[in-house]
Order: sequence, then structure tokens, then C-alpha cells
Amino acid sequence: MTTKSAYLLADNVSPATVTNTSSLLRIIALALISGAAIASRLFAVINFESIIHEFDPWFNYRATRVLASQGFYAFWNWFDPTAWYPLGRVVGGTIYPGLMATSGVIYSVLHALNLPVDIRNICVLLAPGFSALTAWSTYMFTKEMKDESAGLLAAAFIGIVPGYISRSVAGSYDNEAIAIFLLMFTFFAWIKALKTGSAFFGTIAALFYFYMVAAWGMLSVFVFTLHKFSPRTLGGYAFITNMIPLHALALILMGRYSSRLYVGYSSWYAVGTLASMQVPFVGFQPVRTSEHMAALGVFGLLQIIAFAELVRSHVSSKQFQTLLFASVIGMGILGTLAIVGLTYKGWIAPWTGRFYSLWDTGYAKKYIPIIASVSEHQPTAWPSFFMDLQFLIFLFPAGVIMCFRQLRDEHVFVIIYAVVASYFAGVMVRLMLTLTPVVCVASAIAFSSLLDTYIDPTEPEIVEDSSTDVDAPQTEGSSNVAAPTPKKAKKAKDAAPLPSGPLSDIVSSVTAGSFKRGERPRGVFGLDTRLAVIVHAVGMLIFFVMHCTWVTANAYSSPSVVLSSQNPDGSQHIIDDFREAYYWLRQNTPEDAVVMSWWDYGYQIAGMADRPTLVDNNTWNNTHIATVGKAMSSSEEVAYPILRKHDVDYVLIIFGGLIGYSGDDINKFLWMVRIAQGVWPDEIQEPNYFTRTGEYRVDDAASATMKNSLMYKMSYYRFAELFGSNQAVDRVRGQQVPKTGPTLDYLDEAFTSENWIVRIYQVKKEDSLGRDLKSANAFAQGKKRKRTKPAPRRRAIQ
Amino acid sequence: METGLSTTSTRTVTVFKLHERDGIGGKQPHLPFLVISSKSSKGDSVLVILDPKLDRDNYSIFFNGLRERGYNLTFRSPKDPKPAIIEFEQPQFSHVILFAPETKSFASDITPQSLVQLLEKDTNILIALSPKQTPLTSLASEFSLILPPPGTPLISHFPERDTPENVIPVTPTRNEILSSTLAPVWFSGVPFSLQNNPLLVPILNAPAESFASDSEGDNGANALVDASEKGGEGLWAGSSLGLVTGFQTLNGARATWVGGVDVFSDEYAQKEVSEGVKSGNKQFGADVSAWTFQESLVLRVDSVSHHRVNETTPRETYTTNDRIVFSAEISRYNPKIATWEPYSGIGDLQLEFTMLDPHVRTALPPVAGQPGKYSVAFRAPDRHGVFKFVINHKRRGWTHLHSSTVVPLVPPRHDEYPRFLSAAWPYYLGAISTSLGFLIFSALWLAGDDRETKRGKSTKTE
Repeated sequence: MTTKSAYLLADNVSPATVTNTSSLLRIIALALISGAAIASRLFAVINFESIIHEFDPWFNYRATRVLASQGFYAFWNWFDPTAWYPLGRVVGGTIYPGLMATSGVIYSVLHALNLPVDIRNICVLLAPGFSALTAWSTYMFTKEMKDESAGLLAAAFIGIVPGYISRSVAGSYDNEAIAIFLLMFTFFAWIKALKTGSAFFGTIAALFYFYMVAAWGMLSVFVFTLHKFSPRTLGGYAFITNMIPLHALALILMGRYSSRLYVGYSSWYAVGTLASMQVPFVGFQPVRTSEHMAALGVFGLLQIIAFAELVRSHVSSKQFQTLLFASVIGMGILGTLAIVGLTYKGWIAPWTGRFYSLWDTGYAKKYIPIIASVSEHQPTAWPSFFMDLQFLIFLFPAGVIMCFRQLRDEHVFVIIYAVVASYFAGVMVRLMLTLTPVVCVASAIAFSSLLDTYIDPTEPEIVEDSSTDVDAPQTEGSSNVAAPTPKKAKKAKDAAPLPSGPLSDIVSSVTAGSFKRGERPRGVFGLDTRLAVIVHAVGMLIFFVMHCTWVTANAYSSPSVVLSSQNPDGSQHIIDDFREAYYWLRQNTPEDAVVMSWWDYGYQIAGMADRPTLVDNNTWNNTHIATVGKAMSSSEEVAYPILRKHDVDYVLIIFGGLIGYSGDDINKFLWMVRIAQGVWPDEIQEPNYFTRTGEYRVDDAASATMKNSLMYKMSYYRFAELFGSNQAVDRVRGQQVPKTGPTLDYLDEAFTSENWIVRIYQVKKEDSLGRDLKSANAFAQGKKRKRTKPAPRRRAIQ
Repeated sequence: METGLSTTSTRTVTVFKLHERDGIGGKQPHLPFLVISSKSSKGDSVLVILDPKLDRDNYSIFFNGLRERGYNLTFRSPKDPKPAIIEFEQPQFSHVILFAPETKSFASDITPQSLVQLLEKDTNILIALSPKQTPLTSLASEFSLILPPPGTPLISHFPERDTPENVIPVTPTRNEILSSTLAPVWFSGVPFSLQNNPLLVPILNAPAESFASDSEGDNGANALVDASEKGGEGLWAGSSLGLVTGFQTLNGARATWVGGVDVFSDEYAQKEVSEGVKSGNKQFGADVSAWTFQESLVLRVDSVSHHRVNETTPRETYTTNDRIVFSAEISRYNPKIATWEPYSGIGDLQLEFTMLDPHVRTALPPVAGQPGKYSVAFRAPDRHGVFKFVINHKRRGWTHLHSSTVVPLVPPRHDEYPRFLSAAWPYYLGAISTSLGFLIFSALWLAGDDRETKRGKSTKTE
């Protein structure tokens, strides 16, 4: 041994024992990580109950129930007449069925094993279950990047990081629940295919890509919003379709074309695209929309390059250059013409509104109110990066720089992923989810390098001879490090010239065994330095765990269907108004009673109350939503014909003024106005709903249009009575509501929940005497009508 | 009553409600032997609220006519508390006759509001007015009737006659409610002008020469001139004025407003309109009460059904572009034998297939040889959604027919699309040629020359 050791290692252990022990420990660690990932997602079930959360999951749950009870073909052809009444919704053709199919398969398997598990429990626990798989696939992915120890760290990070938990707590039965696993696994398979040049792994990547296409409707990084907006939407899979081509393109541009790349990419693209087109909702999009053009273009480019390589190996280099020159020009012209022609013919639609909304974050707000109205589409606030990622956000850049140090093909991937995901996470809150995996991977690389360096017992040598041709000694425990052997590192150095400059100096100073010949020896001396750094690092990890637990328990585990507050004595108080109201509808109204509400509550009404709704969270028809917006923001007289035309029996609104629930309809009201204004600019104008000084008020100063709007009337109907002789105060807006509240002529109050959060109104039938309901009401209250005279029948004789 | 098709689970809304009340006529179309009493489709109990000032004997012809037709008459004065017209929100009689044209104060159960409530609960009302202002005057305006100022009865100087100017013989215009051979009718009372309400059914209009005047004399003529100078505003004159006007509410109940109660009196019934010609008042009273009490011009939709062409059972959903047969059975009430009879007499019935707007609007003609049945076959639109079969037949005087049956129209199932498309031949050829090419290539590859491997082996062995 030419090296000194900082601390003693047992050297009488055979290498086989070390390998076996470390792999056993790895398995145990992974199992524990999976357990922690699942357990930390169960706060929602423990604090509340086993219930489906939020909005979209209610639809997924409902669809899954259809799948489980009626079989796949019934589900595939399911036309839901109760959604978007009376337009209906072709569910089979407008969803990504992967999530439901997954639950359906699990359900069938369990039932085949005589385990009669309720479909609801499968749906509730699907996300935690898949988070364990995500941890495993992240481990596999990171292992390809660095080594097993980094993999374990990455798995642990992704297992408990709040940025991912926020979308995958128990009950959050949404596409993201399984999509992150598929994302990571597809990336892993792609990297593997690229590394080995294996068509097998390329096909595996393609299959998981297909699964992902089938599953992920909700999120796309490249153009996300899109789904919520139009039936021709793009799912999260577009993230993969663009990440992989981008990676391939970057490799080509870096001059790293290889037959491995060719085989991996071609097999992935051909199989994956054909498979993805089998999903009806995707259809021919992969060959027609701009979001998929990158993948197609890179595929074409690869063929050309491969062909050029072939030609080059057969002709002389002079001829080849002429040939290359001519063909590049020819193909450039042809390609441009083709794209122009296709766009002109309308076969491809490259520049849709959602495309712009990603680059210009203000675009959607300016032109597409319904996109901008979704809270998850707002730009991310800085604190939420820390909230969701905690110390990983600081380690993340370090990890990316580590990738630059080695810059193997797969590191290019992580770098591209990091850059792209960071940008999009800044654009939209929701896209934090796609940033999270790469943050975990990069941080794990950085953190494990740190641990490698400081746990490594090798003391730097003072001797000039720095050729460390000794394998890094094995250490024990879960921090088992297979630090890149100098050979490997050298190879990497040859492959990728190190970026020089101060940065590389800093970086190299933390990486073990990479100091250059002839320089002053660098490294870590003594045990105290090591201990100081490691204790701090472990401290960071501990705080990370505490932070994650706290955030998960307090911020991300609320089902939002059930609210909770604290009693004065600190005990939990459950506010269950939503379910109270939905069950009231379910039990007190005819089965075909149509319920109108703002679209946020459509899925919940369909899922819990089982009643037809006008609009729901699948916001595919802007005009229909605008119709509801118009009804809500017009006066009763204008709204009534709209309600009658759509057979509306009940109107449901959310009102938080009594209890201080800020997510209520009055706060969303301006969006209804804006969306309605987009379709009927002559009838609805946003400025009319503000006071003269431009304030949005609900008290005496509110504008007449505001006070006459159906939404205002329904919200504050009889509200002041509740306060008796005291001044009525709206606790959300903090404003005093007029003492004489609004009156309703065309609607009857049917139900108001315990805390007034949900109010349901019944639409009156037309008056049997053919009067308008206002005068009918006045008559019923005993008001005398003005005497009228017969109308003139002819013109006055002059 | 669920007249709709109940074998489907689709939504059937039949607004038309005939059997809501437990009147005798309603539920026994199939048990005619039980029916001995009423000729009305609604029941036979009639409450007559009669002003004590009016002599009951003076209306004996009218009341006896009702009794003969099988009605049970119960009399009470406007101020009697009992029997109440409505108790515990339930109407107590099938029909109400309100002959209290000059009563200023009624018992607490009779208010304009309660009378409207009665109509909403399917009770028919016959109301008489007078030139005096009463609570009923304000009620009339709810029915889109505009009464002249108090104390202005209708007068006419034509034709020349020996009666006062306010007792006028009115020749009825032909309509479906009145018998075709009706002699002129004596009328004395107040006219009203009609607003633009499609629910109003004019039964008897004023003669063209008549007008409303301040007194029973001729003094009011000046007001008339004033009004005509203002372009006719406030002009209660001419043949557009109503004297007896029916009103059919949206739910099918009927109310008839009569300008003067004397139309039903024995005196007018026996009075001659001209030499040797008896007045038509008796027949008129019978006709008006028959219409008001829903004996005449009463229709109902018995059932509706729908199925695909060449099938017989209805489906829960139809596919776009299906050919659908829709049929409806319609009955008309026959007061002579007090039963519902199939009725094929509607020539202009229409069917709409509606989603927000009618996508299909077609005639629904009667089927020859099947009385009461109306049927049409049409192609469903190429548009999926929740559609309604709507029959909406509203004709003046007749019961409104309204039926709406909801049925979803769905896109074809995944296996209902055509399998082989001629347009897709390039793709078929592509697939076939690629498969063939692959087979040939594999065959050549496997069976081809293996010199190289041999050479390799040989070098190894060497």
C-alpha cells in the first residue's frame, strides 16, 4: 500500500463478501426508501380518510369505476351523456387511458387472487405505490449517471421530496401519479439503449414511452396548458418526445454520432411513435403537430447522417465533400418547402397558441383567459422552489457541474433536462413536478461526490508521484463508494476535454483522485476535516427529512374536498360542506336534474352527486364554459333563458364569505366575466364589475352590474339576515355587505351547507300564466300592478 | 303521471299532466262502466261561489245544465269560510265558479293569489266580472286582460232594439269552442282589451259598434273621441275587445273570464234576440262551461316510443346517423261517453329532435289505419350529444301537447366503423410489401451463402 489511510479499514474481508454485503445493503436500503416513500404519502389517509382528492382525480376515479364494473370495451366506447350537458363527452376518445387501465389491471389481478379490494382503495393508494417504483427507477437512472451510492441517494431524495409528493399523496389519483415513474424509467431505458446501442433497450424505452403516452394527459413541459384547453392536446409525453430528440441532436452536434445512438434512437422512435398513435386521443398528432416535429426531424437527420457515414466509407473524401455540399443545400430547400407546403395545406399546425404560451408567459393571459385562469398555470413563486426542494435546489447546480466534468453521453442528457426543466418550472407552478426528478438526480450526484470525497480514507500523498494506480479501497456501509477509478476518469477526460478556468479548479478540488500531475497535492487531510464536513452533510440530510415531513403533513395532504381548521383549543375541526352538499344533491334531486356550476366543480358533482353538469374540468369547449360564465355574470332576466335552454334545474355555487374560505366563486368571478367577455364582448364587459375607482368590491360601493349579477345575488342572498342587527361582514373580502341583501325572482334557494360554503339554487319553472317571473313574484307578494291601457293599434290622425 | 316510455332508462319528461288529481274522469279511460257522473276529464266536483245578491233561481238553467251533465255543485257565498277552495295546499274541488262580480270583500281563502294557486294546481275557474271594481279586477291584469276604468260597461246602439244600450245581442264569431249553430247571445257587462299573450283564447268578442262608456247612457262618447285622437291608446271599443275570454295556463288548467254574469241568467236565456228566435245564451253557457271544465278540446299524449328502423324495442342510446322511428299515441277526451279515445285528427303535429337547437324538425303525421298513432322515421344527425324528442303542439283552445324524451346519441363503437377502406390501399400495400420484404430478406439471410462463417471456422481449425 502506497497510500495512507485516514482511518483503518478491515482488510481481511474478501472482495466477494464486500460485493454481496453491499448489494444486500442496497436492496435493504431501496426497500426502506420505498417504505418511506409510501408511508410519507399516507398522511392524507390518516389525517382525513381514504378519499379521492381534488378535482381531476374524481373523474379518473369515476372512469376507473366504469372500467372495473363494465369492462374495457365499455370503457373504451364510453359516451358520458351527463358531462357537458347536452353536448356529452366521448370519454374513450378524449382521455389518456393509461391510469385507469393500470388500476383496472391491478383490480382484476387482485380479484383473480380472491382479494376483494375495493376499486376506491386501489385508486387512493395507486400514487403511493407508484412512488416506490419511481424511487427504484430513479435509482437505476442515477446509477447510469454515476454509481449505486448516488442512485440510492437519488432514490431517497425522490422518495420524500415535497415537489413530487405534492402530486402523489394517497388519494391524488391523477396521471402524474404514475407518469413520473414512467418518465424516469423511459429515460433510464433510453440511456441504457444509448450506452449499449441495444435495440432491445430502445424498444423497452419505446414501450414505456407508449405507456406514458397512454397515461399522462395532464402535463407537458413543452406545451402544457394545452390539454386543459383543447381536445387536441398534448400530454406530458411531449416532454419525452422532445427531451430524447434534443439529447440526440445535441450529441450529433457535439460530433458524438455513433451507431449506438442510431440504433437506440431509431428503434425508440419507430416503435414508440407507432405505438403512441394507437391511443385515440393522440391519433395522428405525432406526425402532424409542431410539438412532435423535433422527434421526427431528428429521426430524419439520423437517417441522413447514417447514410452519409455509409457513403463516406465507400467514396473518396473529395467526392464526398462535393456530394455533401450539394445534398445539404438540396435537402435544406426541400425540407423548407415541405414544411411550408404542409402548413399551408393545414396538415400540420406548427404555431398554435399554446406553443407561444410557453415561450411568452404572458401570451396565455393576454389571449386565452381560460388557460390563465387555472391557478396551476401561474408562474412559480421563488419560495416554492425552496418549499418543494429544500436543500436540493442548492445542490442541483453543483450536480449539473459535476456532469460537465465527465460529460459522457448520458451526462449531456441530464444537463439538457436540467436546463429545460428549470426554465419551464419557472413558467408554471405545475411544471415543478418535472423539474423535481432531475433535481434529485443532480443533487444526488453532487451529494454522493461530496460523501465520496470525505469518506474516502485515502490521504493525499506528499510524494511527487501522483499516479494513483491503486483501486479505490472499498468502504463499508451504505455509503459504499465505487468512486470512478482513475482509469475511468482518465477515459472520461479524454472523451470530454475539461472546461478550464476557476470553475474547474473548484470542482476538481472536491473530486477525489483527479489532481493533475506536477501540481501541489490536494485532498483531504486527517479525520477532523472529514468529520466536520460529513457531520454537516448528514445534518443537512436530517433537516431535509424533517422539512419534507413537515411540508407533506401540513401543505400537501389536504384532500381539498374536506377542509380542516383548528378549534380554539387546538383540536382539528373538519369542514365537510362539499360532501354535505353533493350528497344532498344526490339524495334530494331527480337523477336527471342538470346542475350548473363553475367548471371547477364539474368532476366532483359528477363523481359525488352523480348528476349531469354543464361544464367540468375537462375544459374542452370554451364556448360552453363562456355560456356558464355569461349566465353567472348577467342579470337574472338575461340568465334565465340561458338556464332554461340548457335544462338547468339547479345552480351550485361556492361561497366562502361566512367562514373565510378564499377559494370561492366570488374570487373566481372575474375569470367568469373575462371568459364570457371573450365570446360576448358586447354583452359582458369586465370594467362594469369594478367600482368607479377600479376596485373589486362586494359592499355598498359595488357597481350596479356587479350587484345585479346572478353570482353576486346567489352568493349574498339572505347573507345579511344571518347577522341579525349587526353589520354583515364578508370574511374573505373583509368588506361589509349591504344590510338589505339581493332578492331572487328566477331562482329559489334550495340548499345551503352548514358553513355556507356550498349554496344550491333551484331554477324556477316558467310562470303558468305566461308572465315573467319577476312580476309573478311581485303579484304573489301582493304588490299591485300599475293599471295599463290598451296599446294603440293605429297611428294618431294628425 | 308517467305517460312516457318506461321501458327505457332514458329520461322521459312529460310535462303534460292529466291524472295528477284524483278526479273520477281522469283515471278511468279503461273502466268506462264505473263512469256515471262527470263528463269532464278532470272530475265532477264544482264549487259555486255565488253572491247572495244574485238569485240562484235566476241561473237555474245554467246550474241545472251542469247538474244534468253530471257535476256535483256545492254552493257557498263569498264570505262563508267553508267550504274552503284550498286546504292544506290541496284544492278541494275540481272546478270553481266564481259568480261574485260585485263582491268587494271575500273570505280569507279567496284571494287573487289563491285563485292563481288553484290554477297552478290544475283546478279550472270560471270567473264573472262586472263594471264595479273588486279584487278580481286586479287579478284580471295578471291574465293579460286590461279592464276599462271602474263603472264603464259596454254599450252599443246597434242593432236597434227595445233593450237598454248596455244589453247587447252579440253574434258569436265561429270558433271551435262554441257550437256552430249558435244564435246571438245577450250580453251585459264589462269588456276587456287583450294583451299579447298566446295563452289567451278569445271566446266571445264585442260587436264592432260597441264601446265602453262611463255610464249606461251615451255620455262617455267624448272620452272615446279623446282616446281615438290619441291614436287609440286607452280605447275600449270595437271588435277586438273580449267579452268572454278563456285562458289556458301552461300546465293545462283553464280559466274563463266573463264580462258579465248575466250571460248565464235564465232571463237572457229565455229572451228572444229577434222575432221568434231564442237567444243562444243557454247553449253558450253550456259550451263555455264545457271548455272551461275541460270537456271539450282536451288532448293528451298517452305514450311515446322510439326505436331503430327494423327493430321494435327502444334503445338506451342511438348511434349517429341511425334511422330512428318515433311514434306517439294521442287521445282526445270524448265528453259524451266520458272516455279517452284515440285521436288522429291533428294534421300539423311536428317532431323536433333537439340538442340546444332542433337538429331535425319534421312532420309527425297520423298513421293510417292505427287511430291515435302518429309516427315518423328519420335519420339521426351526424352529431353526438344528448338529444330530446320534443313534441310541442300548442293551438288556441286545445290542450297543449308537450312531451320530451331524452336520449343520448353516441358516436359509433370502435368496431362499428368500416373495416376496409379503399382510400387506405396505399397503407395496406405498404404493410404487405414490407412484410413480404421482411420474409424474403429473412429467407435469403437464413438460406443464403455461409462461406464467411465457414472460412472463419476453417481459420480457427487451422
